[in-house]
Amino acid sequence: MHPVERVIRTLGGKETDRVPTFCAMVEERTYNEVLGRPLISQEKLLTNPAVRFILDRWGTPLTRYVFQPEVTRSMEKRIRAQVELGFDALWAILDETFIIIDHHTMVRFTGSRFNLQPDGHGNMTYMYREPCFRTTEDFDAWPYWPDADALAHSAYTFFRKMVSRYGHKACLFGQASAYGIQESLLWAVGFEKMPVWIRREKDRVRRFIEINEELCLKTNMAMLDAGVPVIIQTDDFAFKSGPIMNPKLIDELFGPSYRRIIKAVHDRGAKYVLHSCGDNTLLFDTFISWGVDGLHAFETTSNVDIFREKRLHGDRVTIIGGVGVDYLLTDRSRDEEVTEEVRRLIAGLGPGGRFIISPVHSLSTIPAHKLTVMLEAARRYGTYPISTPPKEAS
Amino acid sequence: MMNGSIAAVRDAIDTLDLDNVCSLVQKCLDEGLTPEEIIEHGIGQGLDIVGKKFETGEYFLADLIMAGEVVKEAMPILKRRMNPGLASKRGTVILATVAGDIHEIGKNIVGMILSANGYEVVDLGVDVSASSIIDTARSTGARLIGLSALLSTMVHSIREVVEASRAAGLREQVRIVIGGACTSQALCAEMGADAYGETAIDALRIFNGFSQAA
Repeated sequence: MHPVERVIRTLGGKETDRVPTFCAMVEERTYNEVLGRPLISQEKLLTNPAVRFILDRWGTPLTRYVFQPEVTRSMEKRIRAQVELGFDALWAILDETFIIIDHHTMVRFTGSRFNLQPDGHGNMTYMYREPCFRTTEDFDAWPYWPDADALAHSAYTFFRKMVSRYGHKACLFGQASAYGIQESLLWAVGFEKMPVWIRREKDRVRRFIEINEELCLKTNMAMLDAGVPVIIQTDDFAFKSGPIMNPKLIDELFGPSYRRIIKAVHDRGAKYVLHSCGDNTLLFDTFISWGVDGLHAFETTSNVDIFREKRLHGDRVTIIGGVGVDYLLTDRSRDEEVTEEVRRLIAGLGPGGRFIISPVHSLSTIPAHKLTVMLEAARRYGTYPISTPPKEAS
Repeated sequence: MMNGSIAAVRDAIDTLDLDNVCSLVQKCLDEGLTPEEIIEHGIGQGLDIVGKKFETGEYFLADLIMAGEVVKEAMPILKRRMNPGLASKRGTVILATVAGDIHEIGKNIVGMILSANGYEVVDLGVDVSASSIIDTARSTGARLIGLSALLSTMVHSIREVVEASRAAGLREQVRIVIGGACTSQALCAEMGADAYGETAIDALRIFNGFSQAA
C-alpha cells in the first residue's frame, strides 16, 4: 500500500496493511545527521561578532530577504530528512512568522517574543521568552500583524514545490505560518494575564481570534490548493497535569473558529489533525466535536493514558503519537528499549486501526538513529493483523 | 459565625470575581474589620476553597491564576492599613527556573499562589545559576527554595543547586522543592532535592509543611 493511502485510510478509520508511521518533524541536529552537516554550523555563523552586529543594526529589514529564505531552506531540509528516514507521514512546516529584532531576539507577528539561542548541538533554536502585549496600548499599536493573503500566497508556492518533490513518497501533514489560536493568545499576553484579558478585554481577544482564524483558513486553503492531503495544527491546550483552562471555556472561545477551519478542510476532501501537548484527557471529546480526524501527541511525560483514550475514542478519531522523547528517543536509551516500546504500543493500540505511531515531539536531543530503530520496529510489529497478543500491552 | 462582609470577600475569591473584590474588601474595612481578619477569614478561606476545587478538577490552572489576580487586586487596599510584618509571616521563598531553561509559567503560578498565601517571594527569574540562588539564600536568610525545570536536558542544574547549598554549608538549613514538566518524585530523589510538587497547590502544601516544621 502506498504511504499516502495508508495514512489517509487510517485517518478515515479504514483498514490498512500496517500501522503507519508519522514523524513529528525533525530539528537541525537530526536532519544534519541524515543529510550531512553544513560547512559552517548555524551557531558559529550566528554567534559571529560581525553577524551579531548586522543583526543588531539591521535585523528587522533583513528578515524578509536574508533570514527568511534561510529558514525556508531549513524547513525543506526537515521535510527531506523525514522522507529519507522513511516515514509514511511527516510534518511539513513553512514558518514565516518571525521578525528579527536583534541577534538573540525575534518576535512572532502575533505578539510574542522569542530567544534565538544555541541548541547545544551546534545549531540555533528559538524558545519563547515573553509576551509583547503587556497593556492594551501594546495590542492597539502592534506593528507586525500578519498579512494573511501574502502568507497564503507563499504557502501555496512552497507547498506546490514540496508536494511535487516529496508528495509521491510520503503523506505531507502541512502547516503554514499559522500556529494555534489559543497558544498564540497565551504567548501574546502571557499565561498569567490570559484569564484577565479573556475576562476584561473581550473585544480585543475576539479580534485576536479573528486574525488568527483568518490566517489559518487562508493558509490552509493555499496548502490544499497545492495538493497537501492533511492539515496539521499545533495548539497546546493542556499542561502536564490537565487542561490550561476550563474545557467549556475553551469550547466557547476557540470552538467556533476550529469548527469553521476544520469544516473548510473537510469540504475540500482533506483531513485535519490537531497536535496538543500535555494531558488533554478532559478535552478529547471537545476536540472530536470540532471534527478532528486525528489527535497527536499523547505526551508520555504528562498524565494522559494513550491506551485508555484509544479504548474510549478509537472508533471516532485516529490516535497519533505515543513514543516518548524524554528518554526513549535520546542518546541515553538502548535500541532494544525503543523496539520493545514500539512493540508494546502497537500491540495495545494497533488492533482495530486508527493508530499512527509517532514521536510525541521534535527535539534537538533526538538522534536520527533512534528514529530508524523506531521505524524498523514499527514495520516488524505493525503488519495487520497484529500478531502480538494484546494482553502484553498495558 | 462568619461576618457577612468577610464571607462576601471569601465568595469573591471563590467565584473569581475580579470586578467586585475591591469594593467588598473596602466594605469590610469600613465596618471596622482589620486587614488581618480579612486576609485570614476572607482571602485565606477563599483561596482554600479555590485550591480544593482545583484538586477535585472543578477548577483549572487558569482559574488558579485568576484567583491570584483577584487577590492581587485586593491587596493594595489591605496593605495600606496592614502591619508590615504580616506579608512575610509564613517565610520567604526563593523561586527560580534553573540554569539553561527559560520556561517560567509554572514558576510564576507557584509564586502567585505563595504570595497570595502570605509568603514573601523572591523571584530570581529564568536561567538562574546555582551560585545566584545560594547567594540569595545567604543574603536574604530565606530557607525555602523552589526550582522549576521544563527541559529534560537541564535537570542536572537541579543537582548543581543542591551541591552549591552543600558547599556553602547551607544544605541542612534550606529545603529545596522541585517542579515542572520534566520533574518527578524519582528525579527529586536522584538529584538530592527535598520534595517534588506536581501542581502549584502541591507546592503550597509542601512549603506550608516546611514552614511549620521550621
